[in-house]
Amino acid sequence: MKTLVKWRLIVISLSAVLLLNGCGFKDIDKRLFVVSIGIDKARNSTKKYLVSLKFAIPGGKNKANDFFIVTEKADSMAEAVRAIKTKVDKEIDFSHAKVFVFSEEMVKLTDNAGVYYWLARRRDIQEIAWVAIGTPTAMDVLKVKPKSEQLPSNALFLSLGKDGSETPYIISEFYFDMKKRLIERGLDPFLPIIEAKKDLLEVNTVGLFNKSKLILNLSQEETKILNHIMNRENKSALWVKTGNIKFIVNTTKIKTKYKIITLKGKQPFIKVSVKVNGTIEETTAKITNEKLSRYEKAAEKRLKKQIKGVLVKIQKANVDPIGFGLRYRSRHFNNNDWEEWQRIYPHLVFKVDTKVKISDTGLIE
Amino acid sequence: MNRYFLYLVFLNMLINVIIFVPKILIEHRYNGSVMGVLIAIPIGIGMNYLYSHSLNKFPGQGLPEILADSKHRWLVNLHLGSIQILWFSAGLITLLGFIDILSRFVNPEMPKLFLITIYLAAIFLIIQLPTKRVMYFLEIVLFLNTPLIGFIIYKTLTSEFLSWDSILEVGTHLFEKPSLKAMAAATYTFSGFTNLIIFNRVIKEKLKIWNFIIILFLGVFNLFTTFFIPIGFHGSDGAQEYLYPWISTSDSLRLVYSPIERVLYIFLMFYMSISLMSISIHWHVAFELLKGTFKEKENNKKNWMIMAAFMCCAIAGVLFLNTVLLNKITAYWMILLLGVEVMTVSIFFIWARRRTA
Repeated sequence: MKTLVKWRLIVISLSAVLLLNGCGFKDIDKRLFVVSIGIDKARNSTKKYLVSLKFAIPGGKNKANDFFIVTEKADSMAEAVRAIKTKVDKEIDFSHAKVFVFSEEMVKLTDNAGVYYWLARRRDIQEIAWVAIGTPTAMDVLKVKPKSEQLPSNALFLSLGKDGSETPYIISEFYFDMKKRLIERGLDPFLPIIEAKKDLLEVNTVGLFNKSKLILNLSQEETKILNHIMNRENKSALWVKTGNIKFIVNTTKIKTKYKIITLKGKQPFIKVSVKVNGTIEETTAKITNEKLSRYEKAAEKRLKKQIKGVLVKIQKANVDPIGFGLRYRSRHFNNNDWEEWQRIYPHLVFKVDTKVKISDTGLIE
Repeated sequence: MNRYFLYLVFLNMLINVIIFVPKILIEHRYNGSVMGVLIAIPIGIGMNYLYSHSLNKFPGQGLPEILADSKHRWLVNLHLGSIQILWFSAGLITLLGFIDILSRFVNPEMPKLFLITIYLAAIFLIIQLPTKRVMYFLEIVLFLNTPLIGFIIYKTLTSEFLSWDSILEVGTHLFEKPSLKAMAAATYTFSGFTNLIIFNRVIKEKLKIWNFIIILFLGVFNLFTTFFIPIGFHGSDGAQEYLYPWISTSDSLRLVYSPIERVLYIFLMFYMSISLMSISIHWHVAFELLKGTFKEKENNKKNWMIMAAFMCCAIAGVLFLNTVLLNKITAYWMILLLGVEVMTVSIFFIWARRRTA
């Protein structure tokens, strides 16, 4: 009897929960899902940004890839989103926003911290969204509708993520990593550049930042080399020319290590060692398996030159996407290591050591 | 090896993500966290050893039973009362912190009062149960959740975005003067042993040295993950910007082929049951101690009164405390807890020695 009374009390108190209402849950058909966000610099306007949200329209099987874009000029993200809310009939939901595209003009502005941090401050925006630069404008990138795309913005998700195409020319960047790089001393942000073509999206270059401002654009080949240095992607290819033979090495493994060496009284240098394993994929003349070591040497020489070129170019622009500065800070116990590094970096020398191992010439000799 | 003892200590290690330990440690990362953590390890293990060693002399008895025939009633009440208030507030901070997380990430439109009502109902069901059954409950919850949390930690450790240079950079601030706040926060991970005050009822055997060696390894690994993994993901300079470093870290993981891509929601799902259990364990201890302070026989009316008091405190906390304030209070509360723990352990150690000698 006693336990019955106890249970009755519990049941009553639990059922009292049902009386509470005010739960603000909105059904899925009353929400509009943002799949990507584009931010441009506003033109011919007193406002600073042009914010575009790309909404997916849920539909049946025959018209799955349907979307619309709503834009608004504003000085801040929050204002823009509030204004866009007045233009659509449903509640805007950011939980599926997986790509943020900034235009090149916008990232060249100086004080964008408000926008970058807005993305982290909102609880519903995921930190594993990708960030990229869009050319000619972010809006153009959002508008592109590739033929192979099955869901709105899915082409972007697949090409930036590794689950779709895998290429060394894309160095994709997650938002949380970019935010880390925005503030970490000795590690600078970089963003892949997406170029909007008529029916295609082309991602093969990268823009390097000095903290929040875009400084340097790398070319396609330089992007690949940067990818090798950062150990992001193993599947790549090396173009090598030796004498009048041109051959291409299809790589299966690329591993880069570096070490900063500062000796007293001597010029500080960075020892970069790169190890590449691969097979020959294409050649203009016959290469026999016995003479492979000669070609390995040629490939090593070529790779060494390329890597050195990219490293010097990055250093000249005084940016640090690879994180040499952070490496220096992490190996020195003194408190002024960051100031020291800023003095050292501009006249640092790179000593590159490459090792290419070509295992065979493919299925035929 | 006694698994019940390990569960109690391990539960506190898991829950420190909710109770602001990573936030406090990361805040002081350049001025004394690393040293603080290193000092906290021997202190934590030492207290674990001394306390359980002295309680072991009374197998199968909780503190209220051990002290029941004492002549100095007011001293006993003071002793039990201080632990009881602290342990109740431990549960309260966890509860308020987790309610805040839930209302931020899971259902922002639901009023906090509603969320806390659901939680309180579940907690009150558990804390009234006999100690043994609470223990079984804990075992089931840990059994279901720990492997999956272990998987998340494994994913973070193998992620290419975990920057070891950032971690080492914080490591180079080893020789700073240790910060008291960071040290107190780090000892919290080991302070699950205090639950033994009541849960010694279910521990009948003697605790062997292996228990403490396991706790040492678990504790070191746990402190490493709570402190350094958010730094590896969000940078040595950037990690302190986050209000909940570990929750943002779990949001920075991507499980491409899992049903939910965002690890955040999986992580929160596990922590819902773990924090429920942690609060229930703490409040069960507080509840039993409070019952132990009254001399007369227990009755139902009194139990309900205690629970009503608990509920009032929780609701007042939800109404009047915001996250930033709670965070600040917790930092000082940790120091208080450390002080009281050191005192309780030493007093009880001496008392138990004289009693049994």
